Amino acid sequence: MSWAASPAAAVGGAVQGDDPSGPRRPAGWGQKAGGPPRLRSASTFVSVAGAGIIWVALLGPVITLLTHLSGGAIASSLTAQGALDPLVVSVESGLVTLGVLLVVCTPLAWMLARGKLPFPRVWETGVLCSMLLPPLVIGLLLVFMVGPYTPIGELLGHLHQSATNTFLALVIAEVYESAPYYVLGAQAAFASVEPGLEQQAGLLGDRPRRVFRRVTLPLAAPGLAMSLSIAWARAMGAFGAVIIIAYHPAGIPLQIYTTLQETGLPTALPYALVLLVVALPLPLAAYIWSARAGRRRRG
Amino acid sequence: MLDADVEVDRRDFTVRVALQVAPGERLALFGPSGAGKTTYLEAIAGLVLPRRGRIELGGRVLTSTDPPGQAMPPWQRRVGLLRQNPGLFPHLSVRDNLCYAPSASPSGEELSSLASVLGIETLLAAMPARLSGGQAHRVALGRLLLARCDTLLLDEPYTGLDASLRRTLTDLVGTLVMDRSIPAILVTHELGDAQAFADRLAVLDRGELLQVGAPNEVVLRPASRRVAELVGYLGFVPAGKTVAGVHPERVIAGAFGDRGLVLTGMVTARRPAGAGWEADLAIGAAAITCRLPDTPPASGGELIVTALDPPRFTADGSAIGNAPAQEGAGRPQQVRRLSKRAGRRATPTRTGHNNRSVRPSRQSRRA
Repeated sequence: MSWAASPAAAVGGAVQGDDPSGPRRPAGWGQKAGGPPRLRSASTFVSVAGAGIIWVALLGPVITLLTHLSGGAIASSLTAQGALDPLVVSVESGLVTLGVLLVVCTPLAWMLARGKLPFPRVWETGVLCSMLLPPLVIGLLLVFMVGPYTPIGELLGHLHQSATNTFLALVIAEVYESAPYYVLGAQAAFASVEPGLEQQAGLLGDRPRRVFRRVTLPLAAPGLAMSLSIAWARAMGAFGAVIIIAYHPAGIPLQIYTTLQETGLPTALPYALVLLVVALPLPLAAYIWSARAGRRRRG
Repeated sequence: MLDADVEVDRRDFTVRVALQVAPGERLALFGPSGAGKTTYLEAIAGLVLPRRGRIELGGRVLTSTDPPGQAMPPWQRRVGLLRQNPGLFPHLSVRDNLCYAPSASPSGEELSSLASVLGIETLLAAMPARLSGGQAHRVALGRLLLARCDTLLLDEPYTGLDASLRRTLTDLVGTLVMDRSIPAILVTHELGDAQAFADRLAVLDRGELLQVGAPNEVVLRPASRRVAELVGYLGFVPAGKTVAGVHPERVIAGAFGDRGLVLTGMVTARRPAGAGWEADLAIGAAAITCRLPDTPPASGGELIVTALDPPRFTADGSAIGNAPAQEGAGRPQQVRRLSKRAGRRATPTRTGHNNRSVRPSRQSRRA
């Protein structure tokens, strides 16, 4: 292969290897150091081209969305009376959902990762079950579980609350749709923290709670941020369970559906753009932050 | 003073070790892999709870199974444990790693003087991922010292580093332990490391303490055939009613009857070893290995060697009263039972002495 032995590649390698002023890096690191990997050989070229094709294919719907939108349509559908209410509802319910997940599911994920629970497979199977059920089915089952004529529903009634067609119902539906993704991701994040480090922190004089705050949490944080952003995406896009138990107040996915039914596609599509624009920053920030944390750790 | 007498059950045997380490003293716990060395350290650190035992450190009771039982949690023990993985926190800089312990609040001056002793003064701002293995171990050691641990437990920390670096770091630990006058235990399966570090050597095999003594004394006067095997005696030659242990490095060519046991054997193999040669000799039914500076005869040739002052054992493997190896090194030796239970349970199968530890009296060791 003449590609592999091209003079440019040879020169590049030599420069990198002989540079005495450059910072010392672990072996095998060199290629990533200077920036994106160069197209060194035919196989690299093919894999980059393949990745590009897949990326464009995945983006296909988004590209289609952009080509089918006109500025006028966006303006007219978003400036109508109360047009932005679904946006507020979606963001608020999404943030509350994330809060609930953080508080309730983080300890569960930690205990799963550290094997603190008896019969771990049973616990994990439970989490998987709620992930495998179609959201629509979850919604139907939630009606049986927290609907107005159930014990839980009656209890909520005593508190002047209801878990059907309320903000609470929306949050419940979003929590059920996103929790398993967060739990499994967070479990992996905690499992990647070496127990030896926690042990060492303990021997240096930290109580378990302090060890968790000073070692476990910072080390798991990038992984937790990633799982949280996946959970966020699930919550923002939640539709199946939502349409059953929380038809009101409408978040963006439901708004798209009702607008589609009432006035047709052209007025519904702008909401999809809004959903993208609103939902994207948080996961993007999580990605950037994790990458930064990783870079900082590598020094 | 660290005084730890513990029994920990393992899958196929029980680790029974009772040792006392004085402030500033360096003890090496030597034994093959899986002998229970690490278990003993973990019991002291509070990571493993012994079935029976009592651990005291500087007057504080860390663990006691005598009623009422007591088990201080690891974070209150002030026990420094250094393992093969230095365990630096990857999200913290070297400086933050050094000052991690809640009890560590060094002044800038203290921090920089410790860093220069450890040779890491230029690395304080670096992240652990950028450090070499040796540097990471220096930082880990500094972190334990700044945490003001009352004892230092080293669990084969420098395995995997090259020999000269290992020796440098071992020396560094030794000096720092003496300076701070804290007890230290090094666990190792490398005899050379143990000898380089320790004032006292304890030999552990399958959970039983076989011998405790000055490093040289243990090597030259092993208490049993098993100890001899562990410290490197490769050949055992019948000599009258006894068996003489032959260490490859304690053999010289030629017949010197006044210096030891003269052996005549046939060379079965020879190979270069370091700057000299290593030869396998068949002596009757026994086989020995010896290191010689001169080239031995080729295979089949005859060679006369002298095994210098070899330790002698009875047929069942226990040592026969040797004169002390060196004057003053080991006056009358006090044989101490680990515990009544250990004494009762010990089975005299492999070695007759495996429930006894031999230690020189405090005065003779200090002398």
